[in-house]
Amino acid sequence: MNVPDISVYYFGAISLILIGLYAVLVKKNLLKMLVGLSIMETGVNLLLISVGYVSGKSAPILSEGIGPKGAVDPIPQALVLTAIVIGVATTAMALSAAIILYERYGTLNVEEIRRLRG
Amino acid sequence: MNGQYASLLIALPLISAFFVPLIKGLGNKAVKYYLILITAIQAGIAGWVFSEVYRTGEPIIVMAGGWRPPVGINLYIGHFAALFVLIVAIVSFFMAIFSLKAVETEPIDKYAMLFLLLMLGATGMIATGDIFNLFVFMEITSITAYALTAYNKTGEAAEASLKYMILGGIGSSFFLIGIALIYGATGTLNMAHLAILAGGIDAKVAEAGLALLIFGLAVEAELFPLNAWAPDAYQAAPHPITAMFSAFVVKAGIYAAARLLYIMQGASGWSSVLKLVVTMAALTVFVAEFAALRQKDVKRMIAYSSISQIGMIAFALALGTQAGVEAGVFHMVNHAIVKALLFLAVGYVGIALGGTRIENFAGLGKRMPLTALAVTVGSLSAIGLPMFNIFWSKLRILLAGVDAGYTWGVALILGASVVEAVYYLRLIHTIWFTGEGERIRENLAIGTIAVFLVLLIIFIGIYPNYFWTVSQKAGEDIFNVVQYVKNVPLMGVGP
Repeated sequence: MNVPDISVYYFGAISLILIGLYAVLVKKNLLKMLVGLSIMETGVNLLLISVGYVSGKSAPILSEGIGPKGAVDPIPQALVLTAIVIGVATTAMALSAAIILYERYGTLNVEEIRRLRG
Repeated sequence: MNGQYASLLIALPLISAFFVPLIKGLGNKAVKYYLILITAIQAGIAGWVFSEVYRTGEPIIVMAGGWRPPVGINLYIGHFAALFVLIVAIVSFFMAIFSLKAVETEPIDKYAMLFLLLMLGATGMIATGDIFNLFVFMEITSITAYALTAYNKTGEAAEASLKYMILGGIGSSFFLIGIALIYGATGTLNMAHLAILAGGIDAKVAEAGLALLIFGLAVEAELFPLNAWAPDAYQAAPHPITAMFSAFVVKAGIYAAARLLYIMQGASGWSSVLKLVVTMAALTVFVAEFAALRQKDVKRMIAYSSISQIGMIAFALALGTQAGVEAGVFHMVNHAIVKALLFLAVGYVGIALGGTRIENFAGLGKRMPLTALAVTVGSLSAIGLPMFNIFWSKLRILLAGVDAGYTWGVALILGASVVEAVYYLRLIHTIWFTGEGERIRENLAIGTIAVFLVLLIIFIGIYPNYFWTVSQKAGEDIFNVVQYVKNVPLMGVGP
């Protein structure tokens, strides 16, 4: 069987996403789930950046010696900047909810947090 | 007037959210009235945009910063967006009035800010013409939704909010992966430009990218395997927010999913994604109706009913035929009206009698006749009895489903409707034929809104034609992608 030719960036990014997803699905501790979510977001950002990479080009800042032709794709960098901020906001929000949850329930085990049942 | 003023739909809620801390200095009451004022102005702007778009028949294209797409971000306010922006604004206005009475927990300034940002996010999701901008507005909507779910600061609220956050976090990551794949394949983020390039994408990339995008939006749109957060969030959130979730936040998600689906219709593997969505939607209807049957809490019961109706909308929108899309849009309008009424009335009962358990509803007909009437009309309409508005849209969805060849889906939905009738009639029975009680004075403002919505439901039930033509135009806006592309003034890359 041939090993498909995948760049190490894509491989690493997808692995990070899968590791994060694994943590969210399998871990019982709420904080570990949130860590998983964070890892997943990092993986997605890395994937987004690697999509725009052009081999051998430099950072997309116009300065001496670097013209528009010599730069990597700038759009994914703008996307990632936005996505990072959104990720941080979500994490902060989730952590504050986790604090309230711990105060009210006295546990962070997701199997014991089951007061809302239909 | 210049169409670019339509950008006020986004700008007004944003700037007013920033002014809330200043208004807070004038006292808590002032913040609530400020909220009513801003949502009323928003409704005025949305009304102007609506009349403008339907009068001229041309969509309003707002170009951010004057850059023409696909370089700049554009807002596309066509027939659909104009209609739904109006619904978002009006429902927000009603819920701002309801908040006067319903929200007693401190701090009110944060509530007002998040309320305005939720309205902004939903408006943006409906109006935008760029997929990354769609992601940003989706995140604004969902982060404010997480915060508002947890607003009551009880353990239950935090639990519901965390469930929503974890599912929403996974969903938005998947959406972003989808964007990365599509951007990597086409090099564009603009929807109109994407529609032109969709045919040339490699089949596997298109299929995976589109499926990931739909999967990410399905968390917001409450489709079957991803909707576990919804009943909890509906139950734990403040009452006005529940109505907003059901009336437009979910619809924004489902509309975005439908828009992306039809934009990508040139891509190979498109029809298999459609089949996937139809299956998920039919299962949503079925599972949610049966879950609603065994609920003891009325708010949670209506939450499940809301999910099942959303499933029906998704079913219609993913049929891939024009009749289906039009019926789906008509159902979206009707469902927004009915669920705004139901959650308003049920929330009011929850405030007046201290809880929404089914025991609280016994004898409601004698204690709060007006509210009881509102719940009854809403329930009868949700079942789909003739003379009420949902009858027409449900009928059209079922007919469109049979036409498209999904007889099994139609059978599943019809079977689930019987279950729906059972639990709603049980509720109506509890309200009118059991229990005794003293008369309670009902709030005038909330009563007026309820009566207005009841009359609207009956009016559409008897004269559906006006709203049907509006929905037809709005549906065509989603379905007719060729016209959509023609309307967006693409710079340098147009056909």
